[in-house]
Amino acid sequence: MLRYLARRGLTYLVMIFLTTSAGYLLAVSTLKPALLEQERIPRPTPEQVATSMRLKGLDPDLSPWERYVEWLTAIVTRWDWGRSPNGAYINAEFGDRVWISTRLFLASIILTLVIGVALGVYSAARQYKFQDRVITSYSYLAYIVPAPIAYFLVQLGAININESVGERIFFVTGISTPGIGPGWAQFVDMLAHYAVPTVAITLVGWGSYQIAQRQYLLDNVNADFVRTARAKGLTRNQAITRHALRVSFIPVAQSIAFTIPAIFAGGFFAEKIFAWPGVGSWSIDAISLQDVNAATATLAYGSVIFAIGAILADFATTLVDPRVRVQ
Amino acid sequence: MSSETTTGPAEPTGSPVERLHVAGLHSPTDAVLSVRDLHVRFNSENGVVHAVRGVDFDLMPGKTLGIVGESGSGKSVTSLAIMGLLPGTADISGSVRLRGRELLGLSDKAMCEYRGNELSMVFQDPLSSLTPVYTVGTQISEALTIHNPTMSRHAKEVRAAELLAMVGIPSPNDRLKAFPHEFSGGMRQRVMIAIAIANNPRVLIADEPTTALDVTIQAQVLEVLHTAQEETGAAVVMITHDLGVVAGMADDIMVMYGGKPVETGPVDEIYYNPRMPYTMGLLGAVPRVDAAEKSSLVPIEGMPPNLLHEPTACSFAPRCPLASEACLAGEPALAPVPGVPRHHAACIKSEALGGDVDVLDIFAAPPVPASRFDAIPRDERATVLQLKDIRKHFPLTKGSLLKRRIGTVKAVDGLSFDIREGECFSIVGESGSGKTTTLLEIMEFHKDQDGEVVIGGISNKQAADSRARNAMRRELQMVFQDPTGALDPRFTVYEVLAEPLQNAGMDRQAIRKRIMELMKLVGLQPDHVNRFPNQFSGGQRQRIGIARALAVNPKLVVLDEPVSALDVSVQAGVINLLDKLRAELGLSYLLVAHDLSVVRHISNRVAVMYLGKIVEIGEVDRVFDQPRHPYTRALLSAIPVPDPQVERTRERIILKGDLPSPLDAPKGCNFATRCPVYAALPPAKQEKCRTLEPPLEAVAPSAAARALEAGPVSVPDQRFACFFPDGELEEDMLVVQDQADHHAP
Repeated sequence: MLRYLARRGLTYLVMIFLTTSAGYLLAVSTLKPALLEQERIPRPTPEQVATSMRLKGLDPDLSPWERYVEWLTAIVTRWDWGRSPNGAYINAEFGDRVWISTRLFLASIILTLVIGVALGVYSAARQYKFQDRVITSYSYLAYIVPAPIAYFLVQLGAININESVGERIFFVTGISTPGIGPGWAQFVDMLAHYAVPTVAITLVGWGSYQIAQRQYLLDNVNADFVRTARAKGLTRNQAITRHALRVSFIPVAQSIAFTIPAIFAGGFFAEKIFAWPGVGSWSIDAISLQDVNAATATLAYGSVIFAIGAILADFATTLVDPRVRVQ
Repeated sequence: MSSETTTGPAEPTGSPVERLHVAGLHSPTDAVLSVRDLHVRFNSENGVVHAVRGVDFDLMPGKTLGIVGESGSGKSVTSLAIMGLLPGTADISGSVRLRGRELLGLSDKAMCEYRGNELSMVFQDPLSSLTPVYTVGTQISEALTIHNPTMSRHAKEVRAAELLAMVGIPSPNDRLKAFPHEFSGGMRQRVMIAIAIANNPRVLIADEPTTALDVTIQAQVLEVLHTAQEETGAAVVMITHDLGVVAGMADDIMVMYGGKPVETGPVDEIYYNPRMPYTMGLLGAVPRVDAAEKSSLVPIEGMPPNLLHEPTACSFAPRCPLASEACLAGEPALAPVPGVPRHHAACIKSEALGGDVDVLDIFAAPPVPASRFDAIPRDERATVLQLKDIRKHFPLTKGSLLKRRIGTVKAVDGLSFDIREGECFSIVGESGSGKTTTLLEIMEFHKDQDGEVVIGGISNKQAADSRARNAMRRELQMVFQDPTGALDPRFTVYEVLAEPLQNAGMDRQAIRKRIMELMKLVGLQPDHVNRFPNQFSGGQRQRIGIARALAVNPKLVVLDEPVSALDVSVQAGVINLLDKLRAELGLSYLLVAHDLSVVRHISNRVAVMYLGKIVEIGEVDRVFDQPRHPYTRALLSAIPVPDPQVERTRERIILKGDLPSPLDAPKGCNFATRCPVYAALPPAKQEKCRTLEPPLEAVAPSAAARALEAGPVSVPDQRFACFFPDGELEEDMLVVQDQADHHAP
């Protein structure tokens, strides 16, 4: 098992290297930060721009390949991901951003998964009944409504609550209130900031899991082995939870791999709307600011998250499905 | 007689309420399971389907009831209704009593007390009936846990191993930790039986338990069921479409048609003295593997009734050759056959049908067709297909990036045979023996193949360009197993039949004429050409498939399991058609079938394959009547015969285990691992089997024959590959059913 995971890990490492390298070469040959510098007032001379860029390790006169080698050497030897055109160090900023993204999304990813799968099971057991229709209709609605609109609606709801109570219970934007001392007050402040984005992302997110889990479970509810389980003396519900559920979770476990990176790296709207400056908004900003190193770093981050998701999915599949277990 | 199972109520006439009342008062108290007036209705989009219409029976402890019927006759629905496993939307009425306690109307939870405990069931498809993610041990233990919550973990493990050993799974303690996908189909069905008998049930329902299995495995599983019944003393309800399977096992038979029992009685009565035309037809429709004489099979024309409409007449009347005005006046009730105790039939003419009424006369079986080639000796007929040393080996590799070859699967290993004009040549063997690969190799017809294929004088070695292949295709056509899957659902019959003709370059007028001819030839109405395949029944679809194959006037038709997807009564019609076409058109057939009775009925010559090799080949009656190779003997003895007397007394060879993985194929004789002769041989002779490969050799004419004939002795058409064909059989593998527990009534 460990050897298998190690082998998969190695495969993904190669994949991450390839995507990141390709991403860097693409970025370095299309993004020209020097052009943006020239829009400054007073306009710097081309020599000044070139010097300032060279000092930040962004020499525009070198060929893409030379810069790639330089960039790669810095990462391999010093773990230095370079600098932005404005002089900021990627390493420093990256850590902050990842921490913010993680805090924003981690709770909602877990909640999304748990609620989605649980509701999927609940609605499958009550196929075509009132509860199933409500839950499944909601999931399709969540699927259709664009995420930004849903986030705004949740924000509006939170503001309404604040107003009707007459006190600010929830913060609809921001990470924390500056100047609050440590202790209980800080914890309450954190919860007040967390609640709205977590609820919003969860509400929008669980739909896809619910639909998938319901569908896969329904495919298995009338399977021959569920009938066998009932013939042994289990009630219908026992047979479904003990036998059909685990089999139907196999494809859901596999799909997790592909939703985690999408949420992490693609959380651009959530980060913008709730004003949590995470990796998603950084990647978009990096492109508009012609920031080669930051854009590549976010891409590398996305690949790593994808690999983690895929390994988790492999792991989960191996846990629930003995047929794929490797000797 | 009174200790026997009784089928049918004492007084079958009267309203349902009366019958229930009578049942309550008079039902024998010692019956473990009594079913009265069971009705099941389903709501469908087209209306209410009345799937089961009044089933009554009493099952005595330790006895076996066989429920026989074709698809749609309501036999499976009956069993699921008894188990309480029908969906909640089913409307069930009547009475099901298990040892006097009413089961119908119980909640799912209350029913769980009985299911798997006193009442258990084995299902048809063993491949999908076990949960793939739990070990076999867990699944057996679960059945024990549910009904014995206090049983210790260790006790459950011991009992589970004991059960596995009982159903004949070797090294049961290790196998408990295995997952279902590590078992073969036959092994999984054994596990299913182990689960079913875990709590010593009083009633065991087996719904087509062997339909999905090979004949040799079927024989094993039936034997296990028999043992299980002896061990637990359970009464068994055996549901099947195969009259052979129940002949040896059942004490009583209930024949169902259109959701209703149409004939019930002791097994010998049903087989030797049937009083309902449908039962007679069913018995006449199955070919016998033990009979050499060639009479046509009894075809039952028409289709089973549509259960959407409440029948106002005998539901079999539209297909019954004896139907008269009186048959249309109301549905006949299941009435006692005069003069025969416990025999009931739902036919107003049952009295007249007794004695020596011949089925073939009633159903007007067509005369046996004679081919113009029959008179010509085989050697003088032209060869239409010749295979010379055909091999198909698949490399078995391991590793994802760098593939290492770890072995070879010899799917077909050095096959040679020829087919002459006007003859039917069959290949038989278990699944995995290489039958289908052989057909695919013939259809492949490519220069790079290992071995030579000659079709109608065209060899794959000389000319295998597209022109030669087109010419070859006109010589050889194929009919597929699943008639529904093989016809494009968006093509009308006309388009299906026109396609090969257009391909052959015929003009529109000629095509139209040819299609009308073809429709008549295969017994379909020519004005149905504009219908789509889904508007035909299974048998008619297979006829369309045959018409399509015949469109370009081939010399050889390859039939891949042509009737295995069809019901017995429909199958007979298609077999008769194939027989007729061979005679009339002078066709040759290459038939692959797992049903040896069908093979015997329509073939002239037969080849028995085992692990990619022919182990015995020859004239069909010789091979079937005097099989020389132990595998052929085992295969033939595994086939149940629809004749209770024969079934009870005949000796059967039960092979141990499954077909070995081609990887473990022994160096010498392939069959040595399962061979009953090998097992009984002294070690010195075993050595020969293990190391040397027996060649395919002709049967030496017996000394008597040599003495009788002066001059050159004619060599019989039979060759086999075995060193010790006359060796003793291992006694462990021989089974003779005990006379004591199956006394004839």
